[in-house]
Amino acid sequence: METLKASPRNWLQNILADWDKTQVLVSFVILGLIALTPLFIKSPYYMGIVILTTLYIFTGISWNIVAGFSGQLLIAHISFLAFGAYTTIVLYNTYGVTPWVGIFIGGIVAGLLGVVVAFITLRYGLKMDYFALFTIALMVALKTLFLKWKFVGGAIGMGLSLSEPGFGKMIFDSKVPYLYIALGLTALGIIAQYAIYQSKMGKYFMAIREDEAAAAALGVNTSLYNTLALVIGAAMAGVGGGFYVMYVTFVEPPQVFDLGLNVEILMAAPIIGGLGSLAGPVLGGILNKPLAELIRGLLAGGRSGSTLIVYGSFLILAILFMPRGVTGVLHGFYLKWQRRKTGNKQEG
Amino acid sequence: MTLLEAHNITKRFGGLVAVNDLSLSVSEGEILGMIGPNGAGKTTAFNMISGYYQPNEGRVIFDGKDITGLRPDQVCKLGLARTFQVVKPFPQLSVLDNVLVGAYNRTNDKQEAQQKAREILDFLGMGNMTEQLAGGLSVAGRKRLEIAKVLATGPKMILLDEAMAGLRPIETDEIIELVRQISQQGVALLLVEHVMKVIMSLADRIVVIHHGEKIAEGEPQAVVQDKAVIDAYLGEEVANVAG
Repeated sequence: METLKASPRNWLQNILADWDKTQVLVSFVILGLIALTPLFIKSPYYMGIVILTTLYIFTGISWNIVAGFSGQLLIAHISFLAFGAYTTIVLYNTYGVTPWVGIFIGGIVAGLLGVVVAFITLRYGLKMDYFALFTIALMVALKTLFLKWKFVGGAIGMGLSLSEPGFGKMIFDSKVPYLYIALGLTALGIIAQYAIYQSKMGKYFMAIREDEAAAAALGVNTSLYNTLALVIGAAMAGVGGGFYVMYVTFVEPPQVFDLGLNVEILMAAPIIGGLGSLAGPVLGGILNKPLAELIRGLLAGGRSGSTLIVYGSFLILAILFMPRGVTGVLHGFYLKWQRRKTGNKQEG
Repeated sequence: MTLLEAHNITKRFGGLVAVNDLSLSVSEGEILGMIGPNGAGKTTAFNMISGYYQPNEGRVIFDGKDITGLRPDQVCKLGLARTFQVVKPFPQLSVLDNVLVGAYNRTNDKQEAQQKAREILDFLGMGNMTEQLAGGLSVAGRKRLEIAKVLATGPKMILLDEAMAGLRPIETDEIIELVRQISQQGVALLLVEHVMKVIMSLADRIVVIHHGEKIAEGEPQAVVQDKAVIDAYLGEEVANVAG
């Protein structure tokens, strides 16, 4: 009996002794709290914010793997999200493919775009700022292409063919089921992110981020692992895009090939939370969307654009005062707590 | 048996010939020292052998295979690993993870790689620093870490580019002892070094490079007495001390 009683406590102690595991635990506790919100939040407006908050954590993880782990300066990550969104809605509207399958096909299509991007940038040796510019140029080119492409709705865009709600169609009367789908995706994302972080592949990603030449000297095929990071991140963004379009029920080129949404949906959460850290997308994500909405709610009636000025200033302040994000600040406290704990043990 | 052979390698940067028609060979388990004045082309030669530069002319043979034009990671997989003159730790990773990246060169298994990394860190006397971030290490610690990382890749031969530069005499002695132990395990070494004490106490043979060309080769004692070497690099005093 005693061992049975002690084991959950040991389990917790084991997790808390390891900062990486602690970050995963914190992430899941936060997801658990989000899962309870339907008990208090009845307003569809606020529920919508909770759903997008959760989705932005998932999409933030996808960018965190590319930019945070492997250190590639991927700015316009949103092209991959857009590919996932378009694939899902076209498959559903035109071919009647259930979104449950469609969003994962969207992930595959986005992953393939990732392969193309990796191939071109490696072939022509585009690194760092050139790589960043290439991704932005690609986004602009794709936006123009999609504006002219009638099959995917052209400039009019594409709305989800709404019919009777149904689980198989991923269309619901209430907002709550969307929340649980987003939570499911995000839970998978957190597990995948941790598995990558702990694996050989993850160590190789981080070695490349820290020093590409030194990584190559230790036997790391830097082209291969840069490509892998990009494809994994792209595929996850594609899945996120698939869910995004099912939730907002509409997609048009200026909406998804846009640097503003790119920052909000992909970059803000990991940057506020701590780029390259495990809990970064979650800790940043719970601040990012609610704050953006709060600012929008307070200032939307005033001069147009003032919302973006305040939101942008907030991001700049977050970067200035928390260069390693919320996770970096928490890590400082964690180390102090660890030191006090070991100190007490030595005294006792 | 010959492990590494460079045949007539030449590297030109525009009009500048950094290395001209250089040939050298290293036998299994041998320590070859490479010396020469600053700008002589030592590091360029190094970069050609390890796959960072493609030679304009000539071939590099390692362990019976032509490795000319292979990528650095492919060269490392074959068992030829290098360090960098300006050490390149992965600063935001722990010391253990730094070495782990090297250990994954020979295995995909996490447990096995971690065990190998820990063994090597113990061998280098860094067993108590495993969780520390590499960015926080002292200069001497970074130099040791650089050696730990290449050792972890399981090499047949290591190219050491000024592994002792910037160290205090006592630290230098410690690294000399480490290199000797590594050599005794059957690993061949190519040392590029300015500290003559290191070369004299470790190298089985020496090649001297000046203006991108080999001007002398042979036993350390003989080479330091060579008139051309003294004029180009050592000067009279060092030759007398070393001799």
